Parts: sequence; structure tokens; C-alpha cells
Amino acid sequence: MSINITKTPTVLVALLKADFIVLWRNRRANMMSILMPLIIVFSWKGFIPQFGGAFVLANGITLGIIAIGLMGYANAVARDRDKGVFQRLRVSPLPLWTIMASRLLVQLSMILLLTIVVFIAGYQLDGILMPAAGYLVTFFVSLVGGALYLSLGQAIVGRVQTPETVSSTTRLIYLAFIMTGMLGQFDYFGIDFKKIVDWSPYGTVKTILAYSFEPSKWNLQATGALMLTMAYTIVFATLGIKWFRWSGK
Amino acid sequence: MVDIHHKNILQVEGLNVRYGNVQAVKDVSFYVQQGEIFGLLGPNGAGKTSTLSAIEGLTQQQSGTVTVAGYDTLKNPRFACAAMGVQLQSTSFQPELNVAEILELYASIYGLSLNRQQLQAMLKEINLSDAENKKFGQLSGGQQQRVSLAITTIHDPSLVLLDEPTSGLDPQSRRQLWSRIESIREKGNGVVLTTHSMEEAEAVCDRISIIDHGSIIATGTPQMLIDKHRNDPDVIAVSRRGKVTLEDVFIALTGSEIRA
Repeated sequence: MSINITKTPTVLVALLKADFIVLWRNRRANMMSILMPLIIVFSWKGFIPQFGGAFVLANGITLGIIAIGLMGYANAVARDRDKGVFQRLRVSPLPLWTIMASRLLVQLSMILLLTIVVFIAGYQLDGILMPAAGYLVTFFVSLVGGALYLSLGQAIVGRVQTPETVSSTTRLIYLAFIMTGMLGQFDYFGIDFKKIVDWSPYGTVKTILAYSFEPSKWNLQATGALMLTMAYTIVFATLGIKWFRWSGK
Repeated sequence: MVDIHHKNILQVEGLNVRYGNVQAVKDVSFYVQQGEIFGLLGPNGAGKTSTLSAIEGLTQQQSGTVTVAGYDTLKNPRFACAAMGVQLQSTSFQPELNVAEILELYASIYGLSLNRQQLQAMLKEINLSDAENKKFGQLSGGQQQRVSLAITTIHDPSLVLLDEPTSGLDPQSRRQLWSRIESIREKGNGVVLTTHSMEEAEAVCDRISIIDHGSIIATGTPQMLIDKHRNDPDVIAVSRRGKVTLEDVFIALTGSEIRA
């Protein structure tokens, strides 16, 4: 009699396959994460002459990323934890990190899809066209921004136990980001508030996305925003991993 | 790859589990041999599930050793895990996945690839040929238990842990599950099951331990325990119609009061 341990890549592929099926079967709910950015791209057409196309697309992608990280990822993890899905996987001979890695990779692919959809909508609806390098850098930067909101989602699902409370918490935070982030950047609440918004998780992600569309204009402010985005990610991820419990019971 | 030549497929020694101020498992020791069905009986909150959780690696043990197929669960958790098949008290799978997809997922995790014929054979074996495309949540309790047991044994594990597997099942489903558990034993694998049903313990288990307040208070074959305690005044006091059963012994040893 002998014991064989399945190779980690094989396990990861199996988990990815299952998680992509789940993503596909939830496509209607996931479309909501893409719908909001499309509304922004469509309704903010009037801002393009004043702020530029990059500003509009950056805001749209940022909102989509927040929805995916907070509502898509955190809520799914909270539900599966409550149902005992993770406990069943934990008694299988797989490295625990593969369970979360698979889910995160699926959400990151969703962020890439969102970015592509916003690019297409930006071109079709508003005629926004960028240099090729801009598209490539934006893909990378949207993943960096996505990591921030996925780590924030991880922190929330770590701190809050029940799926219902996770759902209401993520909705509340999403709303807070929309209200303060979108309105704050227009000086509606004063210059000090605008500065806070600019260096908040909303502002830093929006800034790096806006500069990524035109890499030649990348400056110190963009680098600062990138550094801060990564710092937020590390803090939220550390807290999320520290607080996380595999079982909801 | 490591060769295993252990008669005792599970060895638990001096196991202690603590949740905060509560000592859930106190110095528990037992073994399970190959081809043996071992029952862990106890009232609610006695420590059955905590003991199983510690063996499965879901709960951190305070002290003691657990060895599965020769692998220490703390030193070689993945090998110990691979030697086990576990059916949790309340198992769930992602509700968006159908039965075939769930079976394929767990087969892959154990390094097995199921082709179409193997998958259909497996579904036929658990009488779910027509449920291939049904979501897990759409199945009845008995069907869910069959899927769950199929996944538990998909890799032909040396040790199968079943936490109250027949809870909530109708008599037909329960009898069918007993047959499946017995077929696991016939293959030479060990089985640990927890149950509240004394009828089940008598019908299926080769040996049982009664656990209460985190400690094992009696171990033996069902008949051995009945014979040993047959003349105890507490057993006679609770026995009905003059015949001593395992349930009488269980109640006499663990008390008549209802547990939370």
C-alpha cells in the first residue's frame, strides 16, 4: 500500500476549473460589477473635454475593481465558509493556499475582463483611443489595483463572520467609496477632503490607472500612488490572513 | 511514496483538545485496525466531533499524537490526509457545481482522472445515474449522503472517518449506507464512525468506545459491553422489558439527563 500526494499544479488546475465554472454560472450577478463602470463611461461623456478620456476610464475601472474585490470575492468566500465548503476542502490533501489562490486568480481574470470591456466601451461610446503601451500598462495596473481591493475584501471576510454581515459591510464600504471617491475628487467637499480622497485606496488606484493610459506622462505623483497602493495591499492582506477563519461555526 | 505496513491504521494517544476554557477532549486514546469498524458513541457535546476534528486536522490538538497509516498528522499532515477519507457532519459543496463536476474536482485533488465511463460507473454505484447534471443542493438528504460518501472513498483511503453519517436518513437509505460502510471494511480499510444510534452501533461496529465529558469511559465490542454491565444496578434500572441493550448500558454510563 502506498500514499501518493497530488502535485500542487494539478490541484490548482482542478480548483481553478471548479471556480471558473462557479464564476460562469453566476454570470448574471457578475455582470453587475461590469455594468457600473459602463454606466460611468457612458454618463461621464461630458467630462472628457475637461478632464480627458483617461480620467473617465480610470474612474470606471476603479469602481468595477472595487465591486469585484468587495462584493464578488468577499461575499463568495463568506458564503462558502458558512456552508462548510472550505472545511470539506481542508480535509483533502491539498496545500491550503491553493484554495484561496484559485479564487483570487479567478477574480483577477474577472478584473482583466472588466478592463477590456471598459476599453471597448470607451472606444465605442466616447471614441477614446490610447497608445498600445497604454493598454498594456493599464492591464498590469488594473491587476495591482485589483489586488488592493481583493485584500480589502479578505480583511473584511476575516474580521466579519456571517455572510449576511459581510454582505452589508461590503455594500456600505462600496457606497462610501463611490460617494467620497467620486464626489471628493471634484472639490465638492473642499481641498483638504480632495487630498484625503486622492491618497485613499480609491484615489491611489484611480491615479495609477489614469497615468497608466499614458505611460509617457508617468510622474512622481503616480509613483507615490503606486507605492501607497502596494502598501495598502500589504496591510489589508496581512490583516485578512491574520483574522481569517476557515470555519464560520 | 512511502510503503505502509501497519495493522493499526489509526492510533490516537493521549489526545487533548481545548477550546478556550473548555477541555473538549481529555487524554483520549484508542486505535483502529485494518478491516475494522470502530464506533465513537457519546451524548451531544461529549467530544466525538472534537476528537474526529483533531484527527482530521481541522482542530488544533493541545497535546497527544495521532498517527494515520503510519503518518503523524502533525509531522506529515498531507500524507495523513491522503490516507484518510472524511465525511463531515455537515458537508457542502459549491452550490453552482453539479454532481459530476464535484466528483471530478475531488478525483483531481486526489490525483485521479475520471473518464466518462468511470464517472458513469461511479454514479451508477451510488444509484445516481440520472443525477449527473443535478446541483448538489437539488439532491435529497439520502442522495447528498451518497455523493458525500462517494467522494470520501473516491481514493480508496486506508481510513474512513464518518461523523454521524446516517443522521436524518430514512431506514432504506440508512441500511444502504450500512452496506456501503461494510463494503469498505471488506476491502480491509478501517472505519471510524460517530453515531447517536445504538441500533447502528450494534449493527455495524466491530468495536465501540463511549465518550463523555471529553473522556473515554468504556471500550469493547457491543456485546462485550452489554455482558460486562448487564448486572449493574444503573443498567437494570434503565432497562425496559427485562432485556438489556447497548442503549441501556450507554444511558447508565452517561446519565439520563438531556444534553444541550
